Amino acid sequence: MPEILSSLATGFATALAPLNLICGFIGCLLGTAIGVLPGIGPALTIALLLPITAKVDPTGALIMFAGIYYGAQFGGSTTSILLNAPGESASMVTALEGNSMARHGRAGPALATAAIGSFVAGTIATVLLTLFAPVIANLALKFGPAEYFAILVLAFTTVSAVLGSSMLRGLASLGLGLTIGLIGLDSLSGVARYTWGIPELIDGIEVVLVAVGLFAVGEALYGLLYQGEEAGSPHRLTSVWMTRADWKRSVPAWLRGTLIGFPFGSIPAGGAEIPTFLSYSAERKLSKHPQEFAANKGEGAIEGVAGPEAANNASATGSLVPLLTLGIPTSATAAILLAAFQNYNLQPGPLLFQTSGELVWALVASLYIGNTILLVLNLPLVGLWVKLLRIPRPYLNAGILVFATIGVYGMRQSSFDLLLMLAIGWLGVVMRRLDFPIAPVIVGMLLGPMAEKQLRNALSISQGDWLVFVTQPISAALLALTLLILIVPPLLHARGIRLQEHD
Amino acid sequence: MTRPRKVCPAQLAVGASLILMSAALAIGASRFPAEKGFTVLGAHVYPYAVAVFLGIVGVSISLQAIGGGFREPAYDSGRVTKALPGGKTGACWVTAGLAICALLITHIGFVLAAALLFACSAHGFGSRRPARDFAIGIALALPVYWLFSIGLGVSLPPLVNAWI
Repeated sequence: MPEILSSLATGFATALAPLNLICGFIGCLLGTAIGVLPGIGPALTIALLLPITAKVDPTGALIMFAGIYYGAQFGGSTTSILLNAPGESASMVTALEGNSMARHGRAGPALATAAIGSFVAGTIATVLLTLFAPVIANLALKFGPAEYFAILVLAFTTVSAVLGSSMLRGLASLGLGLTIGLIGLDSLSGVARYTWGIPELIDGIEVVLVAVGLFAVGEALYGLLYQGEEAGSPHRLTSVWMTRADWKRSVPAWLRGTLIGFPFGSIPAGGAEIPTFLSYSAERKLSKHPQEFAANKGEGAIEGVAGPEAANNASATGSLVPLLTLGIPTSATAAILLAAFQNYNLQPGPLLFQTSGELVWALVASLYIGNTILLVLNLPLVGLWVKLLRIPRPYLNAGILVFATIGVYGMRQSSFDLLLMLAIGWLGVVMRRLDFPIAPVIVGMLLGPMAEKQLRNALSISQGDWLVFVTQPISAALLALTLLILIVPPLLHARGIRLQEHD
Repeated sequence: MTRPRKVCPAQLAVGASLILMSAALAIGASRFPAEKGFTVLGAHVYPYAVAVFLGIVGVSISLQAIGGGFREPAYDSGRVTKALPGGKTGACWVTAGLAICALLITHIGFVLAAALLFACSAHGFGSRRPARDFAIGIALALPVYWLFSIGLGVSLPPLVNAWI
């Protein structure tokens, strides 16, 4: 415990250095500004800004990305409440309840409870991260390749089962990601695989390229083909302040949301959707004013914004636990953050706390600072963000595509990559149209090569004995858990029991 | 809910493409050297595993497509929207803008290529003032170019050198 505190103090010293503080501030500002724009979530924001890694030192850049990560979520809740335009599925509940409040003249308290709730949840979750991450990292040091392989298989399964409405389609997306991950040089033997003699493919395909193609280009094309402009106009802002009753109803909801969100983020299961929906239904059941909920045709209940927003932020912070301690991303955003680490030749995992301890603790400290910056920055600036939304749709989308081009071209200066991005964008349109989830593609292409390496290492150590995965207790338990996740939902489904609400 | 039990061609096509991809992976894997070096598994084993995985998923998806479409699809909830009028033309403009930018970026420099992309996409999204859009594109691309190339050291093809 004293070690953690002293490490954290060193982290704060680094994060509070003027240059790093500026990085954090810029990250929060950029993240919020871009997150406010409809259709751009945190994953895309970070992907678009990855070229920054070319110039900024790792600590500064990662602090900036942490700011962007939080900021983009913050911005997303602003648009959800004011415009009913959720940028990602996790803000859908906020849009439902918060927009209803805004339409009845309570935009101010809705924005305030979302902002303060995010701060409270983010800070508590960061405290939990500070306490638990080193413990988990120490535990993870005991993991051999077999255990790692088992936990990667578990992550594959849960991510594809959880993100999206059908496990089979999730698995198909995962398979696509695994296939893309195969392209390029085999890390152990140096054989070029699936490159068809195209020199650009020998280095493999960049994760960021695929993410930008699927998210930015695919989203733009899909919007043109199938979705008209979102109807809705900014609402007049009422007082930002919450009443005493608002506070009394928000505080317990924030705490409950945090408690629901953090564990969901920190187990390698992925997705902020489930904790936000869980928190929402919990608030609806516990509320003394159920008639106010939008789902009950009410005017919008403040708990319905406070709880899910807190859950969303806590799960975002929680997802940094598996990312930093095991190197396993459980969401598209975490996957892009992992790519940012890899750009610096840093491999997140148990050893990161030992080899780059200073950086990790500075990052953790910057999470506390980032939360505070966001709170200070956003309450007064809401009016400005609303003005950003007045950019006409053609210019907004054209601008996003220009930034996508810089991001992708800047990585390798290759026209081929730009054409590939376009092709992947069209693939994204087809996937959206047929309701295939997109995040498993990104996760699959990042984790596939890792899984292969661990599998081969594990078998090398056991001298080719496949039983190594079932005879070692940890890996056997993890594989059994995977099997349960694959088998139980279809079984329940066959008996007429549904685990998820489809609404 | 009752669903008409008819074959869904689009979904069957997805299943079939996954099976094709699986076959392509397997054929590719069979050509990798089986030599193992220091590891127990060669470079071909894991691709085989991915091929088998894709094959199983592809067959299951095809079976669902033949048996009346995906289970729990978005259509049931009414979330799937109809194609928009003019959407195809717009998407063609955006695609053309991206392709032009990709093909010309090393020849005419980043700023002009980005401005062309900006103008084409804005047109695709319904703007009808090409000259003004192009000018806005230049006004956006120039500062961004300076910021990224000089400020951040990202190498983007310059305007002048590309011409010389």
